[in-house]
Amino acid sequence: MTQETLAEAPYLDVAAPTFSIRSQAVLDAREASWYARTNYGIAVLRYDDVMKLLRHPKLRQGSYRWPELSDVHGGLFARWWGAMLLSQEGETHSRLRRMANPAFSPKLITELRPKFQALANKLIDGFAAKGECDFIAEFTEPYATGVICDLLGLPFETWRELADIAAEMGLALGVTFKQDLATVEAATARLLKYAEDLVALKRANPSDDFVGMLVQANADKSQLSDQELLDMIVLAIFGGIDTTRNQLGLAMATFIEHPEQWALLAEQPDLARAAVEEVMRVRPTVTWVTREATEDFTYNDLPIKAGTTIHLFSQSATSDPAVFPEPGFDITAERKPHFGFGGGAHHCLGHFIARGDMTEALKLLAQRLKNPRFNGEVKWLADSGNTGAITLPIAFDPA
Amino acid sequence: MKVDVDMSICLLHGQCVIAAPEVFSFDDDGGLVWVAEVDEAQRADVEAAADACPEQAILLG
Repeated sequence: MTQETLAEAPYLDVAAPTFSIRSQAVLDAREASWYARTNYGIAVLRYDDVMKLLRHPKLRQGSYRWPELSDVHGGLFARWWGAMLLSQEGETHSRLRRMANPAFSPKLITELRPKFQALANKLIDGFAAKGECDFIAEFTEPYATGVICDLLGLPFETWRELADIAAEMGLALGVTFKQDLATVEAATARLLKYAEDLVALKRANPSDDFVGMLVQANADKSQLSDQELLDMIVLAIFGGIDTTRNQLGLAMATFIEHPEQWALLAEQPDLARAAVEEVMRVRPTVTWVTREATEDFTYNDLPIKAGTTIHLFSQSATSDPAVFPEPGFDITAERKPHFGFGGGAHHCLGHFIARGDMTEALKLLAQRLKNPRFNGEVKWLADSGNTGAITLPIAFDPA
Repeated sequence: MKVDVDMSICLLHGQCVIAAPEVFSFDDDGGLVWVAEVDEAQRADVEAAADACPEQAILLG
């Protein structure tokens, strides 16, 4: 590639409600060029470039200015958003990440695995006999939120309230943030209060569970202040619910389109871990990752100015035929790593938990729900940004 | 204690550089470099780095 300029590259209207990350326009753009121009800056389309730019030293996490761009200045949500781990860079980010790591250690997954299994079985018990369900309302949403309840030591019955708070707070990430501000602020206040109560409980009864570990990190307040502790708990709740709910829904939709793979998973439950990876490769809920240039630099002969927004299209990258010559969905195939958990300094902190809970869920679902099929209209979020099904009616043969 | 990284699975996220900056670092070309033999005082940091590695590529001996 020599003298390519911004004006010559394909253009993608990624802000259009009808834009799909899986559209022919994106495939054509990826064939023609490693990047496209967008409403916000540029989109990176190919595997090798997404891999490199995810961890590029001249790029920072790109959504930290979201409240300000939505004309929301101040308030509980905007303060939290600006202060929390994902919006931080450099030494503050490193310090917060070091403090959070022990609570997200892979060692904790071993203890949580039986809880994940019990939760999955309990939810499947609730609808198995009728041979149909709304997979989102009856499985993925209570499961994703129930996992958070387990993590926080809250009773399962709390899930509905927690899911509602997270959904109301999640309105902040939509284009109508400003109109929804009062709802968002009320939800943020409730979640912060939840975090305060949990911390008070753990201060009175120290433990080595998730919140207990974070409270221990807060012993040295120069490393993790009281406010940072609360912000971290809010992030764990807020970041853990929608992502897992959507990803498991995308998993089911993908398997319904590949029934032989579902039958194979039921026969060989040990494939569940690989199944999570393959689903996240072909159908990630996080379809793009946002970065922003911190200074002027040149990449692949393309001058990129400081402040440019760069969307790294994980969905497009991990279906790039240059790297994945065998198209299709195969849970037994050896694949290069996907970008469903992002990458670099901001690689998803909760990925061990997410991988663990989705593995256990898929394992049990494949054994108990035979021959799953669509059973009515599926309602989808926009096929860009963070995507997934809103409702996913399915029918199946109970095992 | 010995520290090694399986570079066939390392994806250069740099989580080890965050967790144990005295042991792991990036060179000017973005490659990962590390101290192969560390003393006991650094054990906690190195174990935290091994734990935090998303690809679980760090080997301690």
